[in-house]
Amino acid sequence: MSIPTLQGLQTALSGLLANQEAIDTTGQNITNANTEGYSRQTAVLQANEPLRIAALSPVTGEGAQLGTGVSVQTITRIRNTYLDGEYRSQNTALGAANTQLEELQQAQGAFDEPSSAGLSSQLSAFWSSWSELADSPSSEAAKVGVVSVATQLTDTLHQLSSQLQSIEGQATAQYASLAGPSGTVAGDAEQIAQLNQQIKQSLLAHQQPNNLEDRRDLLIDKLSSLASVTVTTEADGTDTIAFGNAAAPLVEGGKVNWPQALTPAAGGQLGALLSLSSPEGALAQYQDGLNEFAATLAKSVNALHTATPFFKGATAATLEVAVTPAEVQTSSEAASGGNKVALAIAALRGGAADQRYAALVEQVGSGVQNAQASQATSQAVVNTLSDARQSVSGVSLDEEMTNLITFQRGYEASARALNAMNEMLETLINHTGV
Amino acid sequence: MSARITTDMVIGSTLADINAAQATMTRSQEELSSGKSILEPSDNPYGAAQAITLQSSINGLSAYEHGAQDGVSWMNTSSSALTSIDSQVQRVRELVLQGASGMNSATDLENIAEEVEQLTEGVKQSADTQYAGQYVFSGTLTSTAPYKAGAEDAYQGNGGAVSRALGPGSSVNVSVNLASVLGNGGGDGKLLSTLRTIAKNMREGPAAVETLRTTDLAALDTNLNSLTGLQAEAGAVTDQLQLALSRISSLQETATVQLSNVQDANIAQVSIEYSNQHAAFEAALRAGASIVQESLLEFLH
Repeated sequence: MSIPTLQGLQTALSGLLANQEAIDTTGQNITNANTEGYSRQTAVLQANEPLRIAALSPVTGEGAQLGTGVSVQTITRIRNTYLDGEYRSQNTALGAANTQLEELQQAQGAFDEPSSAGLSSQLSAFWSSWSELADSPSSEAAKVGVVSVATQLTDTLHQLSSQLQSIEGQATAQYASLAGPSGTVAGDAEQIAQLNQQIKQSLLAHQQPNNLEDRRDLLIDKLSSLASVTVTTEADGTDTIAFGNAAAPLVEGGKVNWPQALTPAAGGQLGALLSLSSPEGALAQYQDGLNEFAATLAKSVNALHTATPFFKGATAATLEVAVTPAEVQTSSEAASGGNKVALAIAALRGGAADQRYAALVEQVGSGVQNAQASQATSQAVVNTLSDARQSVSGVSLDEEMTNLITFQRGYEASARALNAMNEMLETLINHTGV
Repeated sequence: MSARITTDMVIGSTLADINAAQATMTRSQEELSSGKSILEPSDNPYGAAQAITLQSSINGLSAYEHGAQDGVSWMNTSSSALTSIDSQVQRVRELVLQGASGMNSATDLENIAEEVEQLTEGVKQSADTQYAGQYVFSGTLTSTAPYKAGAEDAYQGNGGAVSRALGPGSSVNVSVNLASVLGNGGGDGKLLSTLRTIAKNMREGPAAVETLRTTDLAALDTNLNSLTGLQAEAGAVTDQLQLALSRISSLQETATVQLSNVQDANIAQVSIEYSNQHAAFEAALRAGASIVQESLLEFLH
């Protein structure tokens, strides 16, 4: 049994085609080196079915298998799905930490401490105004001073309280815009569902939908910063996505189930927003602290200012000065020069109200500090995981250049083999037996 | 096989390092330009709360300082009024001795009586001394003069006490109880009534000389004694205020140092850190500029 005369040409041709395809894949990788979410692809080469040659050797009579070249079996994307899962779960934590930090920093900014404009300065000025009144109890100017400093104090308190409220309102609004019927979650889920359909059809047609899968993974990455994401890949290639602690999967094949209710346990940016605006959230705690401060201040001053309550209202938003300068009481007796009450109120400095406020500032500061620490940690972990994913899936230009040379040389060598075949056939056809 | 390093990883980590270097440098810059190490409560929550408390107690100390200084001025005014009363009463004593010598005619005694009456009026005027628009000897009725001019000798003030705070829970009474020495007139044996009696006895002529020399002089001496006691008390209050002032100023110094320790930046340390950070930042930029360009592409032709 002999070898078909033109077999060698076919073998060399398969080398040309396979190397060409590999060079195309390398070109695809190089051009997408900076594409977000792109996974590098590689052409999987496989030797073709060999030609079975029976009894090639006249001596031993044994047969042999002659290679018939190479072909590209498939083009796969290089991806580690375990790292994807890790990355997404840490990205959820980072999303939550970023949001938490941003909102708490806003709250801290509202307090504006330590500064000459913060509530602590106003409170200190309030006590000082009583000391001044104690020095000249019959002075109308000193009484006007007490009332105007106290009014500034209550104004600052109102402002602070309403700023905290508006930060809470912003959190609620942000949640509504992200999770609403036409928000980011709905939009991304819709795209994922469409990609699911396209991927399913490609797979049915036995085509590896690398780029569609990259796009779908990128969308899932983005979703993972909003709330926790669990991805289950079905047999037909579609991804079922459980989102936060929503009851039904967000995406199931080509179907989207959104909007659904989430709770703070959903994690991510949405969970953090829900937790911040919840009645047990940090902002509500700060508001409670301010209210306690306001109530303590009103109670301790009113207890000494016995003629008529100095403050009315017992929350940060409602505390008001209830007296006119003429009603400011300096003493329990009618005499104009008495200053016992003024002295006693001035001596409240550093008391329960001051301590409550200082504790609140400490609480706000600690809140931001903790959020900073957990944000930094999450960021570091996400960076590491992102690097790990890049290490697997990212395009290395050096590597691609090397591959380019490898496949280019492979192509050249195949062409040379083809040439050799051609020369061989030339000899056979044109120079033999004439 | 070692981990693959891709172009994106190099770019990403270089950028992250440059950003981190810049962030630390910016922080140092803020500390240097503000002079504070606590710019927000989150920089040091406990320190921020401490800074607020310390700042308030420093403000409180200035209020106490102001009050004590005001008290010293009040007491100085009171003391000089007491001194003036004292010298006027001394003059009356001289006149009594002169009148009691038995060498005066009825006219002379009449003249002496007139001078005594003028001095009595002077004593009452001194008692009506004001500090910053407030009568210092009226108790807490500081807008009412303690004694009216003329024959009416009743005390118009009350027994209330004006105080100045010296610190938390500590205050001092700056009302000098002059009424306890001057009395209400009408023969209560106090200074004003004694002065009136002396003038009256002088007018009675040589017949009353004996009374002047014995009873009246003795009564005057008793009153003078009480006055001196009052002066000593006033001096003691001034001393107490002065002492409080020096204690407040040393407390102020301590609290200011504490506050500075808590919230002020250590400029020397931050400056050195800043130059280190600046060097690191420059190195990161330089490294970024050369490493990121490095690629196989440059060596292929």
